[in-house]
Amino acid sequence: MSADRVLYDWTPDVRSYAVRLGLSLMDVECRMQAVDMDLPAPHHADGLLAGECPPVLECAGVRLTRPGTILHYIARQPDVARAWLDPAHEWAILDWLDFGVSALDTLASARGAALATAMPVPPATGALDAVLRRMEDHMAVRAMDGHDWFAAPAASIADVMLFVVFALSADVGVERDTCPALRRWARGLRALPGFAVMPGVPDYA
Amino acid sequence: MERWHSVSVLSDIRPGEVAGVRIDGHEVVLWREDTPAASLHAWEDRCPHRGMRLSFGFVRGDAMGCLYHGWQFGAAGRCRLIPAHPQVRVPASIHVRAYGVREHAGLAWVNMEGTDGFPDHATHWPDDVQPVRSVHVRRGATQLRQAIGLEAVDGMAWRGSVGLAVHEPVAGQAMLHVVCARSGEPAPTPAALSHWASRLRDAVESGNPTATIMGELA
Repeated sequence: MSADRVLYDWTPDVRSYAVRLGLSLMDVECRMQAVDMDLPAPHHADGLLAGECPPVLECAGVRLTRPGTILHYIARQPDVARAWLDPAHEWAILDWLDFGVSALDTLASARGAALATAMPVPPATGALDAVLRRMEDHMAVRAMDGHDWFAAPAASIADVMLFVVFALSADVGVERDTCPALRRWARGLRALPGFAVMPGVPDYA
Repeated sequence: MERWHSVSVLSDIRPGEVAGVRIDGHEVVLWREDTPAASLHAWEDRCPHRGMRLSFGFVRGDAMGCLYHGWQFGAAGRCRLIPAHPQVRVPASIHVRAYGVREHAGLAWVNMEGTDGFPDHATHWPDDVQPVRSVHVRRGATQLRQAIGLEAVDGMAWRGSVGLAVHEPVAGQAMLHVVCARSGEPAPTPAALSHWASRLRDAVESGNPTATIMGELA
């Protein structure tokens, strides 16, 4: 099965990490095709189409290029535990997943300005702050109601996407003690079997 | 009261948990033992070995372990195990700076200058208290205290059953801690109080009047 799935993966890319983390947590095997987008275009990787940027998932004739769609697709595979896209909470999960995809775009641009340039500058974090505020307010109330996860009784693909946003927000100077509810939630996600790290997301903190 | 800082609601620091907090820019690790006693500790957030943040570390029973090389620190911050040299009797001079810490009225209070001076008036606060949440506010503690009518010497402001405290992680930013007494006057649900605190935060940050929002608390 794994031979049929190929992920074009760029290690330091935040969207690629969201997909790698999802694959690992959902225990889905996939052949990784490493891509380095810092190289000139002809050297990116065999099989990546012009203008495409990782993550790209190729599977059974389907070619997907958006991290939210890829996680959604993986969660629908027959060998994946239903809890990742719990049918009883599907709309809430998809709503938070979509929120997470936009949030990840916001994070990626702020983080890019902070790290991935020749002359890093402290990025404007207003939009990211607003995103994290909404997440923190939501999880504070969820915790009071006895829930550990964003949208369902168990961890879902929404938690995967939102975790990447929160974990990497440390790179643009968001301090953990300002988001106690998210800190507790992120600690729970790190403890799940299959949790995977990336540069900037160690297995602590 | 000025030396005792309310740094967290107690529901955010359960047995076996570690949390880094800041007090006026000083990094403090708050951790609770994973033992039946479940004592709470507040130390300087810095391993004396290599300077690693202890808040990245882990709780092992009644000790706090540093993530970097596993040095373990027990009561009063004294190092009791260096895993690379398990036979060594660790000298008492190797220790983390321990701060005064108290659990009262649903909050963790830290005094970086010692353990005494917890004020008498605090004993009149209710102790059967439900912690609600800590909310980050992008305004200085002075401005936030003003908005909720809290004098720094008082430590907490009580509006009916709802208790409010403030601390300043760094200059220009504040944490608002919200708790609710279980007995006494009927109070809003924790979820309603959480939404209330978000609205108060938004009003304080945008410089809008807060009297109406405070008035909702009876």
